[in-house]
Amino acid sequence: MGLVRKPASAPPEEAVPEKPSVQTLLQQVHDDDPELRREAALSLVEVTEAVPVLLARVGVETEARVRDAVLTTLAAHDTATVAAGLAVHLASDEASLRTAVAEALATMPGSALDLMPDLLAAPDHDVRVMTAMILADLPHPDAKTWLLRMIADDPHPNVVTGAIDALLPAADAGDAPVLQAAVQRFPDDPFLRFTVQAALPRLTGTA
Amino acid sequence: MTRVLVVDDAATVRLYHTSLLQEAGFEVAEAANGLEAVEAAMTTPFDLFVVDVNMPKMNGYACVETLRSETVGTAAPVLMISTEDRPGDADRAYQAGANLYMVKPVDAERLVRVATMLTSGKGPAA
Repeated sequence: MGLVRKPASAPPEEAVPEKPSVQTLLQQVHDDDPELRREAALSLVEVTEAVPVLLARVGVETEARVRDAVLTTLAAHDTATVAAGLAVHLASDEASLRTAVAEALATMPGSALDLMPDLLAAPDHDVRVMTAMILADLPHPDAKTWLLRMIADDPHPNVVTGAIDALLPAADAGDAPVLQAAVQRFPDDPFLRFTVQAALPRLTGTA
Repeated sequence: MTRVLVVDDAATVRLYHTSLLQEAGFEVAEAANGLEAVEAAMTTPFDLFVVDVNMPKMNGYACVETLRSETVGTAAPVLMISTEDRPGDADRAYQAGANLYMVKPVDAERLVRVATMLTSGKGPAA
């Protein structure tokens, strides 16, 4: 049987759902339905008054996809308030939270670098390792400067090796002395020595 | 030959662990995060997983839980290696299904010794 073209007719009028108000979205961020929470979080981008609510949600949200939505919206603000509010979670006992927060901070070139003095002085060396992860992906020309400072000054070898790993994609021959000095600071760390020895020929063109 | 999957987002760590294990005779593949590891494990049988904790996309704990789930269902031993040495980190690893938790940096000889032990004496050249 051949196809029969339907007679042209005006499309049925569809009721356009009314866009929820900001107040409604702020309430939906706490709804029992994770999909509603996620949609609300994504709809609150560019809504400054939502920042405190979303920051409070980061630490209590149990659904990864909702937390990712919250972090995406917060990272879009890229302000000092958001950066500081996220940074506290770098010390979280929950691995998924601290890595998700580090990923979010790495997308905030306008504010993440202002955290560096505090993060590099954090007494917990794991927080400083996470800081190297942030700097590795942060699209900012000063990120390399901070990594070099970590390599030169940080007292913990795991932080230094993390910073070296983050630096290497952007490293050049001029960075070789800093790497060599790190090996001398931690002569008993086999991984650090291996990392630098593997990298130096490429940097100095002696491979 | 005994197959090992090294899972770490840090390229230098992957290179280091891979070099040590290859020198000892293991066949080594690499994954840059938990998601890549799960995908690799679904297509290739491994005798040992060496897994970091802090990784993007899928962290180490979630990776190990997925490896142990019905989705992948591997019973191969898992060695978790991390910079994290807070109280409870090892417990979290064991809850996820890891067989052993070690804190970085791991001595070269110890890594090979533990890898050999975890592969049930199968050893690198088996």
